[in-house]
Amino acid sequence: MDRTLVDFIKVLRTAEVKVSPAETLDAMAALDIVGYDDRQFLKNTLSLVLSKNPEEKEAFDSCFDHFFTFDKFQSNDDEAGSDSSSEFQDQQDDFNPQDGAGEEGREGSGGGQGMGQGSKGEEPTFGEASEDDSLLPQSELGKLLLSDDKTELAIAMAEAGRAVEVNQIVVFTQKGLFTRKMMEHMGLRELQEEISELRKMGGGRQINLADRLKKARDVLREQVRDYVERQFFLHADETGKQLREELLKKVKLSNLEKRNFKDVQDVVFKMAKKLISIHSKRRKTFKRGQLDVRKTLRHNMQYDGMLFDIRWKSSKVDRPKVMAICDVSGSVSNYSRFLLMFLYSLADILPKVRSFAFSSDLGEVTQLFEYSTLEDAIAKTMRDYGAGSTDYGQMLMDFKKMCMDDVNNKTTIIILGDGRNNYGEAKAEILREIYDKCQRLIWLNPEPRMSWTVGDAEMKKYAPSCHQADVCNSLLHLERVVSNLLRSVT
Amino acid sequence: MSIKHEDKLSSVEVIQQHFEEKHYICSLQIATAIFLAYHLEKPILIEGPPGVGKTELAKTTATVLDLPCIRLQCYEGLDESKAIYEWKYGKQLLYTQVLKETLSDILEGAKGLKDSVAKLHEFGDIFFSEDFLEPRPLLKALREEEGCVLLIDEVDKSDHEFESLLLELLSDFQVSIPEIGTIHALPEHKPLVLLTSNNTREISDALKRRCLHLYIPFPDVALERRIIQARVPEIPEKLRNQLVTFIQELREMDLKKLPAISETIDWARTLILLHTEVLDPDLVRQTLNVILKFQEDIESVEAEIQGVTNKALKEN
Repeated sequence: MDRTLVDFIKVLRTAEVKVSPAETLDAMAALDIVGYDDRQFLKNTLSLVLSKNPEEKEAFDSCFDHFFTFDKFQSNDDEAGSDSSSEFQDQQDDFNPQDGAGEEGREGSGGGQGMGQGSKGEEPTFGEASEDDSLLPQSELGKLLLSDDKTELAIAMAEAGRAVEVNQIVVFTQKGLFTRKMMEHMGLRELQEEISELRKMGGGRQINLADRLKKARDVLREQVRDYVERQFFLHADETGKQLREELLKKVKLSNLEKRNFKDVQDVVFKMAKKLISIHSKRRKTFKRGQLDVRKTLRHNMQYDGMLFDIRWKSSKVDRPKVMAICDVSGSVSNYSRFLLMFLYSLADILPKVRSFAFSSDLGEVTQLFEYSTLEDAIAKTMRDYGAGSTDYGQMLMDFKKMCMDDVNNKTTIIILGDGRNNYGEAKAEILREIYDKCQRLIWLNPEPRMSWTVGDAEMKKYAPSCHQADVCNSLLHLERVVSNLLRSVT
Repeated sequence: MSIKHEDKLSSVEVIQQHFEEKHYICSLQIATAIFLAYHLEKPILIEGPPGVGKTELAKTTATVLDLPCIRLQCYEGLDESKAIYEWKYGKQLLYTQVLKETLSDILEGAKGLKDSVAKLHEFGDIFFSEDFLEPRPLLKALREEEGCVLLIDEVDKSDHEFESLLLELLSDFQVSIPEIGTIHALPEHKPLVLLTSNNTREISDALKRRCLHLYIPFPDVALERRIIQARVPEIPEKLRNQLVTFIQELREMDLKKLPAISETIDWARTLILLHTEVLDPDLVRQTLNVILKFQEDIESVEAEIQGVTNKALKEN
């Protein structure tokens, strides 16, 4: 059973329930006390020990239900002796639940009944066939198929599944491959040979048997396919997702297509959550102020009035303000979209974000983001400011006019844009002014450093007036930038 | 671990039964959590919306087991001197004065500084000893001879540093005091530890790992009815059912703060005070402030009162 538990925990981990080895040990200790007799009790127990927040509990519930499907199988199989001993249950657990084979057996029984015993009336051909039992199949699989032993069949399938390592399945295109591999492992080839041999021999009985075997084989193939499918959902769906997410993190944001946006958004939220949990630990940063006489006296009373532990008036360092200025013209709009998404997903630890969008004229979009959902706000921003050719000079002038007064030594300003000014006036001196006034000025440029000075790009003029000028064209870059930002400001 | 009323924790059903006697209706999950906490000797971290009975669970556990309930209310700035131990400074000062007076007796016959220091060392060093130790809740819980229920309430309100301070206690049932050493719980009488959290911030993984995690959601209709029956037995059955249906409907709505069980109980008591037999819209409107705690919630619900009340009346 330990092995089953470990398999189950592996499934949990792919479903993003974080389970540490210590918790695995706890689960085993709990199982010793609880036993396996009561399914609900077992589920509650494991849920208490293994899943540690509401989302994980939900994931746990569905995993548990998918993974431990054996009770259906049993209720179908031992209707007569339903008081099966728990020993038998354990035995079943050992091979069935982790491979979802229990359900398989049950589902198979629908089709299996027909081919084995021949349920009279429904399929007359089979009824006829089952009467002359004198001719028996020779191949292992053939015997198994016609033997009407669903348990055996399920076990064989589970064993085949384990032998071909079906739990390594990663993408859905592998389903066919694994189905074939499993069939082969179960002895498909011998069965095929037997069928064709029987055909060759001719004769009514032989043909009949060949037909029966062929039918049974097709049913089996269906079952195996179902089985692989289920395994795919159990093991691969999440793994595949993780694979895709890793890929999305690295891909250039401008290459993303619209259909990917939803996935990317999920990735952004996940990354943001990670950053929040890393940075939400508030550091106590104080500036030591003047001597606090009252506090000192009060505190030193316990030392008989001897003033040796001196208290100071302290002033807390304020949380920083972040202003994000995003170029939303065609070429860079995707980057802006995700930068904004990132910043607003961090609302918990970056409460004071003001955002501005421009292509030629600058406009503040903070309100939009506060009062509507993220997607709406981004869509509206793109609609309202996205048209027009970029003019960085105008943008800087607008910014100076609009909110230069709000910039102080606690403000971090992030400008996202390619610096391509359509040969307009650069107005780098205004940027310099902002640079002098703010705490930090970060310029993120989606283009590679090499092309920063090519054509109408003005980065050469802007870069010296930035505390930091970086290339930023994938989610990974964005994450790094935001993480650094948080490190410097919290 | 063994405590006085071990038999009351022998199985999940027994636990449910005993808690019900104390008017606490617990679901299977809750009972399982208590059962495991006792048998695995692990703390329980209880999360859930406010007012679903997290703190109450700890208190009831204490009553059921007939053990003292030691409570530590967490807040920002809580530190070890308030949670674990403190020195009795006043007495320590007195002690030094007493020592000063008897100093000449102790040092009698000593020649030179070296000799005097040696003599002083011979004299018992009790300045930092248990005599001058003022135990705070956590230490008190460890030293409780019969065992106890230790409730660490709203652990999410405390600082990160305090969370780390708890780790030693939670995993090994011990605390370390630098001047004295490590104090262990009595192996036979470890405290039953329950932590509650309102999820105002994420509890660290280190702490979660050491605990069983119990999430108490809002109850479903049947459970809530039973709870009301247990808590407010004098309420007529019809009114109780209407009331529960009404509250359940409210929970479906988009409100700033959803009414929890404690609000349902308060409301039931209010309605009894007003000698209500049947729910009606006007009465609901007048007593809405018992279940809803924000003006904007009250305003948004007021428009719907008629409909929801009718539904509650029709179903029961």
